[in-house]
Amino acid sequence: MSISRRNLLSNAAALSALSAVGWHPSMARAAVGERKFIFFYAMGGWDTTAVFDPHHNSDYVDMEQDTLTETLGNLAFTGGQPRIFTSRFFSRWGNQTSIVNGIDAHSVGHASGRQFAMTGTSASSYPDWPTLLAATGQGDYPLPHIVFSGPNFPGNKGSAVVRAGGGTLLNLIDGSIVGASDMPAPVPSSPADSIVDAFVYDRVANFAGKRGGRAESLISNLDRAMEIEGRRFEAGLSDLGNSMLEQAIKASEMMRLGLSRCAMVGVPGGWDSHGDNTVQGLQFEDFFDALDQLMDHLATTPGLSSPWLIDEVTVVALSEFGRTPLLNGNGGKDHWPYNSALFVGSGVRGNRMIGKTDTGLIAQPIDFKTGLPADSGDMLGAEHVGAAILKLGGIDPESHLPGVQTLDALLKG
Amino acid sequence: MSGAVLVALLASCAPEGENTQPELILLSPREQLIRASVDLRGVHPSEEELLAIEASPGLYADFVDRYIDDPRFIERTREVFNQRFLTRTGSTYGQDPGGATGDQIAAAIGDEPLRLLSYIVDNDLPYSELVLAPYTVASPLLAEVWGLEREAGDGWTLAHYTDGRPEAGILTMNGVWFRYPSMGGNANRHRANAVSKMLLCDDYLSRPIVLNRAAVDQLTIDPEAAISENPGCQSCHATLDPLSAHFFGFFPTDLEDNTFDGVYRPEQEGNWRMYADKEPGFYGTPTNGIPELAAQLSDDPRFIDCAVQTVFEGFTQSSLDDDDWSRFQDLRAAFVDSNQSIRTTVRELVLSDAYRAAGSLDPDLDAQVSGVRVASPAQLSGIISGITGYSWQFNGTDGLLDYGTGLPVLLGGIDGDTVTERSYEPSVGAVFIQERLAQSAAWHVADHDLDPSRSDDARMLAYVTHDSRPDTDAEAFDTQIRSLYLQATGLPLDEDADEPEALAQLWEQLYALEASPTAAWAGVVSAVLRDPRVLTY
Repeated sequence: MSISRRNLLSNAAALSALSAVGWHPSMARAAVGERKFIFFYAMGGWDTTAVFDPHHNSDYVDMEQDTLTETLGNLAFTGGQPRIFTSRFFSRWGNQTSIVNGIDAHSVGHASGRQFAMTGTSASSYPDWPTLLAATGQGDYPLPHIVFSGPNFPGNKGSAVVRAGGGTLLNLIDGSIVGASDMPAPVPSSPADSIVDAFVYDRVANFAGKRGGRAESLISNLDRAMEIEGRRFEAGLSDLGNSMLEQAIKASEMMRLGLSRCAMVGVPGGWDSHGDNTVQGLQFEDFFDALDQLMDHLATTPGLSSPWLIDEVTVVALSEFGRTPLLNGNGGKDHWPYNSALFVGSGVRGNRMIGKTDTGLIAQPIDFKTGLPADSGDMLGAEHVGAAILKLGGIDPESHLPGVQTLDALLKG
Repeated sequence: MSGAVLVALLASCAPEGENTQPELILLSPREQLIRASVDLRGVHPSEEELLAIEASPGLYADFVDRYIDDPRFIERTREVFNQRFLTRTGSTYGQDPGGATGDQIAAAIGDEPLRLLSYIVDNDLPYSELVLAPYTVASPLLAEVWGLEREAGDGWTLAHYTDGRPEAGILTMNGVWFRYPSMGGNANRHRANAVSKMLLCDDYLSRPIVLNRAAVDQLTIDPEAAISENPGCQSCHATLDPLSAHFFGFFPTDLEDNTFDGVYRPEQEGNWRMYADKEPGFYGTPTNGIPELAAQLSDDPRFIDCAVQTVFEGFTQSSLDDDDWSRFQDLRAAFVDSNQSIRTTVRELVLSDAYRAAGSLDPDLDAQVSGVRVASPAQLSGIISGITGYSWQFNGTDGLLDYGTGLPVLLGGIDGDTVTERSYEPSVGAVFIQERLAQSAAWHVADHDLDPSRSDDARMLAYVTHDSRPDTDAEAFDTQIRSLYLQATGLPLDEDADEPEALAQLWEQLYALEASPTAAWAGVVSAVLRDPRVLTY
């Protein structure tokens, strides 16, 4: 007997029959084999030349002192003494890494640039990549897209998004918030909670069957909430972590357990470096140090449906735009409409530089199949990169971004 | 009878004298009134009101008028327009006059534009007063923060800035320009775009930039020249920069980083010459200062469209699209004909058949009008408090309204800063919040109502006592559980509903576990408060 939650909702009367065969929400499991995604986001606009797009030979780009262009296989990045952790990361994981340069950000405003980078559009009704992947994947996940920190554009798929919200989400899950208010109440015991949950579930399912739409989101998420409550100890949901690395590892654990498909983790730091661009290199070092440790974790942790998590998790790092080639009068760099992105892990064609900027840090047209510069090619935009992300996640980009080419060069096989 | 009422029955339910669109399936009279009450006041109607509308559906318009006159309607308009203005951010912007908490200061600053809107709505003034008003409004605390001259009286009264600034409502408020700062080379463009977003519903930053290679090269070498000359740049900057030029009194060029300090400097109004060198103007028409800008703005048809769009989207929980054209035009006509009355416009919307519809037999129309509304954090707080008397307070503030708790955003609300769009899809966070709030409120109901020494009225459990048991007091349990549903959802259970029996069994299971009638009733009440019709309407 094959029962999906969505089928269930189409016929609330089936509930009693399901009860008879012992159906429980936790039977709704993540589709095995479905790729998961950890997104990192550097809020404020990173300097692409600080790592991804070295221009040490250009007179039109101010590069950080003491850095140099390092090459590893096909990869070229800004390395040298100030980039010890960055170099280590590429030396260890470069064969699974693609760097994408010369992405047209379509904006130099923070909010709109963020929206383009995350959704490929400027329309507020469009969900961002992780939300879309989580909402339209094959699996049912209790916490489909968990936002630890960083941006989120839920669009019309808000029911798939759960914001960690400091510790509040955990207090809600374990019920401790009931005892923490100014007029506290006893936290219901687990058995009592479960009995009430079962009653409520039946009522909400009936309501969803009659009203559809948002009411269906309610039952889907009640289902998810019950599963999370039941599995919170298994998932280690007593602590979502404080640092970027802790949160990313927690995200990977939730993916291993089939609790989440996507996660968003903000990259710490003041990336909007108008006043002092030297922060960029330091922040990238911290980021790559943590990313190296995360990859270690993914490579040594059994996956949900693959030998190791690294075989089923894709790591994506984004920011809203790049920064000007030259330093301004304050030693900072301002907003620049050409951007870069980093992809590592499952499904990514590794050891690959995709896209190109010229000596003035201006994007060149490329062939989307090879990722190489081509006079007859097309300009690469945030939407093309997003289409590749969707394709990595098993979603036909055409269904979401009609007419938008996919950056196939990014995809393995 | 619950749920939608079929078309065939509409004639008996529709308010007399009103034409209903025959293809619409209206909500039952009770459900219509619940929707209107939650939208207009943020609480459920009383049972007396629901009985009245059930007996006389034609009273719907009278109730709507009453609700629009309710003081709580004013706060609902503030909540709806804050989704457009985004000034409630919880930030104090570094202000601390002493004697007030940070939350109080932040609330005062963030509410300045919304309280002016309240004044306009309360006095049924034209919406254009929002930019034309030669005054602001202030609470005693806000007056102290900004050093305003404030008229005597309690609460928010008319007030004036004393630093020589021209006064033009929302366009000259400190709270607005702290929320939308501009510094360095940005030269007030962020502020100009804020005006466009808030008052014209037109976000320059949502326009894709299409720049050719020559434009990019020019931007690299001489950005100001590119902005002034390149057609790709001019597509935005031709109108953005003249708009920006109005606000240099708020842009202290004598400070190192141009950070606004709350002081308007009339002598710096002409400093636009130092930046883009575009004279103040509004879409091609030169202006002489902010009051003239305000006049131009209020004459722009988009100003009217934007106000109506905000009302439409805020009170229907849907994004305006082409399919809504006809409804939008009706609403716009009501707005214009009423001299830009927000009250009249909201009334027109709430009285419309589409607003009162549960769905339609026509699939296209059904897609526009069907679906439940989801309570905002403020509405859920009001609903639960109205039903149970319980408020979920943390450190003296309502947890559902305090951004610091994280609860508003988890429930789908906004924080005005990092989360600026409401999510109307109930998420896992919303489910957990309803569950935990229901448990908290239910315990206090049971603890209070079952107290043998209680001298005041029961909050919800009026038909049972600490000693009632399902096997010996079956009738009392049945009556009590039916009453709980009626109180919590505003909708009576059907005669043959299985909830009374199921909840009596639930009570017994909980009692067997906890050996406490209070805990058992708390569980039952929490189950009722978790009914989807409490979170939705």
